[in-house]
Parts: sequence; structure tokens; C-alpha cells
Amino acid sequence: MRTIAEINEKILQKKAVVYTIEALKARVQEVGVTQTAQEVDVITTGTFEPMESSGAVLNLGHTDPPIKIRHCWIDGVPAYAGFGAVDLYLGASQTVEYGSGEVAEFDDLRDARLRSPGREGGGGYVIADLIAGKPVKLRAIGQVTDCYPRASIETTITRDTINQFYLFNPRNLYQNFIVGVNGGDRPLFTYLGPLQPRLGNAVYSNPGAISPLLNDPDLSLVGIGTRIFLGGGVGYVAWEGTQHFPLQKRLPNRTPIGPAATLALIGDAKQMDARWVRGCYFKSYGPSIMLGVGVPLPVLSESVILHCSVQDQDLVAPVVDFSIPRRVRPTFGLVSYAQLKSGRIMIDGRSVRTAPLSSIYLSRKVAETLKQWIEAGEFTLTEPVAPIPSDRTFLAQDRWGAQLNLE
Amino acid sequence: MKKRVTLTFPKRSVHMPVTYLLAKDFNVAANIIRAQVAPNQIGTLVVELSGDIDQLDAAMDWLRSQDIGISTASREILIDEEACVHCGLCTGVCPTEALSLDPQTFKLVFRRSRCIVCEQCVPTCPVQAISTNL
Repeated sequence: MRTIAEINEKILQKKAVVYTIEALKARVQEVGVTQTAQEVDVITTGTFEPMESSGAVLNLGHTDPPIKIRHCWIDGVPAYAGFGAVDLYLGASQTVEYGSGEVAEFDDLRDARLRSPGREGGGGYVIADLIAGKPVKLRAIGQVTDCYPRASIETTITRDTINQFYLFNPRNLYQNFIVGVNGGDRPLFTYLGPLQPRLGNAVYSNPGAISPLLNDPDLSLVGIGTRIFLGGGVGYVAWEGTQHFPLQKRLPNRTPIGPAATLALIGDAKQMDARWVRGCYFKSYGPSIMLGVGVPLPVLSESVILHCSVQDQDLVAPVVDFSIPRRVRPTFGLVSYAQLKSGRIMIDGRSVRTAPLSSIYLSRKVAETLKQWIEAGEFTLTEPVAPIPSDRTFLAQDRWGAQLNLE
Repeated sequence: MKKRVTLTFPKRSVHMPVTYLLAKDFNVAANIIRAQVAPNQIGTLVVELSGDIDQLDAAMDWLRSQDIGISTASREILIDEEACVHCGLCTGVCPTEALSLDPQTFKLVFRRSRCIVCEQCVPTCPVQAISTNL
């Protein structure tokens, strides 16, 4: 039908026909799959949701005398330093270290709090602050060697005063997720936010039919090297994500009935925009980061359109009871994203309020922004250099919903 | 007209059927929004009083004469539009659906008139966009 090279030529001539995923679904309803496939070159998808398995690589640049950092805190948040001398990795879900007895850490924390009163702090906030161009306080302890004589350093860094600053996120872009509820009798504080007792609320975290990987269910378009929108800048698919589980049970439309594929993403944080990278904190759970991620899908065949025409009523997620503190938690069966987005679902004959955790509003904005980039000729598509594995099994970590029988 | 007030009862007034008297003597309807009342303790009541303006004034004068404190500066929920990402997590814990997502745009909508200032949304918000003004 058309190749990525042909699409890129059209993009550079600003002649490519780009639809956001929602506009595309509407177009398919109007004129059908075949005609839509002829009309449209690229479909843009997006999501904006907490992705706690994210983090940033930083290289500080050498001091004089130089230091081999072994322990490091940025705004009171420990960063991993087990690399070469001044390479650091700062995880988004890393909490502020309290009470290690050193006054300087409390100072770090106080400074961070003064800048943003009311917030708890954590790795996600530090990353977001750096991307926003704010200065952050860095304190490090070195191992004194002949190569690196310096023992410690205290300084302030910004994104412009360090060499490399890129996000490398081991697990982003979940292809589907779960719906959390609490069937117990005390409130629970989870990575899905507070879950109120006796099925007081239900939280879903995937934006459903607009979500990138639910529109490419078998990852036939997205692979290693796919260029994407990451945090308002340009990023790439680096690898399969951790806990990538493509063998999750699937509906006849090939979409998974629970958490399935994941992707590791990489992108230059210096080019990112604070609007699409937000530090966040879940009460009594911990810090995380909210990221906007957009994926372009090239229309290489009619089957691309067929998969992209999937609607919220064709997609399901398992309702999982968090009151059982086990790896495999009991489920209340499957619900559709159409039900979830209606604001109420039925569980055990009871009507339960639902709330999303991904921002559907900002997910749409990501898809729209990526569309504008492509239409302006600023963003071209890439051929994946290798496919994402489709046969990864899931070793006893989590198998939410895997026990569900579709019959 | 309607007026939202916070009433503070001294210990000796807690036994008084205040909302009944407001209705009977002043024709003022008292919609209880929040209440903390226990025997032999100072009680507080957040109520929305509705009725004729003269009768409302008379009712408030009577409340004062009973040593019941009236405060019109009631606590309110504030939403920082810049910080809000419209994720909607708060809508699931809001008991009165004062916080909801627009079914078309999925932007957060806050209907202040429905808010009972229970403040459950404040710690729920993952980006600290919700606070109270007091």
C-alpha cells in the first residue's frame, strides 16, 4: 500500500495526511476501513499517565580535582552512582531519604520543599524540575583513588550545566492494565491512588481506545528504534519493557485482557517540556512521574486501520481486588473501557464509581501535538531495526487476570 | 436566598434542636453539609441556610443570641488550574460528585455548590493541585 519511506517523503513535502487516533476511528465509522486506508498516511496516538518505572541518566562533568561518586543525593533523593565516575541514574519512584542524620540532607529537603510547598518530593519531581530548567541541589560522596582524589562535593545543577541528561525508562507504555478496587473494610493507598473500602471506588489507568499499544495489538508497527513523542521531545523505543508479557490472553480483536506488552523508552530530557513531564506523589505509596508519550502508526496496510478502529466497548480490563495482599489477587471479572469511561461499573450487582488515572484530556493533546509535528514536516517516521519479542513468558511476578477464562 | 455558614455551638447549646427551630420559627431551611456534634462537647455545623432574606437575618440574630457562633468565611476547595493534569483521580473519591470529568472533553469540572469540603480530594491528587483556602 505505502512504505515508511514513501510516507516520509510526503511528510517532508508537508503533504502527509495525518489523523489523530480518535479522528481516525470516526473516519472509519463514516467511510469504512478500505477507503480510510487509502486516505490516511499516519495515525497519531498518545497517552499521559504515571509511569513509575522511569528514570534519568545524568553525567555531571568532572570537577577539579575529579571525583568518583559512590553516593549521591539530588534534592535529598538518592541517585545510583555505580557507574563511571560522574554518571548517575535517578529513578522516578525513589523517595526522599529522611533522617540519615546528616544536616545537609535536611537542608536539601527544606530547599526542595520551599520551592514547592506541600509536595512530598521524590525522583519524579527532581527529573521534572530539571526539565523545567530549575536548579537542584546535588551532594555526593566519592571514593578517593589516585585517579579521583576528591572525597565529596556539594553543588547546584541545572539541565544546562550537566553533559548528558536523558530519560531511560525500563518500563513504559503498558499495553492495557488493570482496574483497582478494594473489597476489604479499610482504605488502601495504592499506586492507583486511594481505594476506598467496600468497593467505594474503582480506578483504571489506561486511556483505552486511544492508548498507543492497544491500536497496534501485536506490535507489528512499533519496534526497537521507533521514533516517538516522549515528554514533549523526541524519543525512541529502546527495547522491550520489563515485565513485557505479550502472551497475555487476548480477545479475537488481538487486544489483551490485562497487562501485556511494555516498552523501554529513551529520549533526550534536555529537549523535553515540563508540560509533559510531571512529578507526582501517591499518598502513602510514594513518588512517581507522569509522562506524555505519543506513538505514530504508519498506515502500511488495511489491517493497520482495522486494528486502529477498535473502540472502548471492544477493549476490556480485569477488576482486581487490592484488599488481598498477594501477588495473584482475586478478580471480579472483566469490564469494558466503555463501561469504565461511563463513570460507573457493576461489581457483584453493585454500582461502583470509576475514575481514570491517565489523563484522557492530555492523552488527546499528545496525539494532537504529534500530529502537528508530522504535518509541519518536523517529525519523520522510522523503520524499526528489530521487532519486540512476541513470545516472552511471564515468570512468577504478576499474572493479573491470567486465570480468567474467557469462555 | 442561600447562605453557607459555619455554626459553633457552646456545650450547653448542643442539646437544642436548632435546625427544627430555624424551620419552625423563621421558615429557614438548614441543609447540613458537615456536622461534628457530640454530647458535652463544643459542636460545629456547616449548613446552607435558605429562606427569605429578612427571615435569614432574624434567624442569624437569634442564633447569636443563643451564643451560637456564626462564621461566614467557610473553608473552600481550591484547584490550581496550572498544576491540574485532568487525570480525574479525585472524581472517584468525591462523595457528592462536585468533582467530575466532562464526558466530552474529559477536563475536570468542579461544581463548588455541591462541595461539602470533606477534603478527601486533597491528599488524593497526585500532583498537589487541590488545596483548601484555610
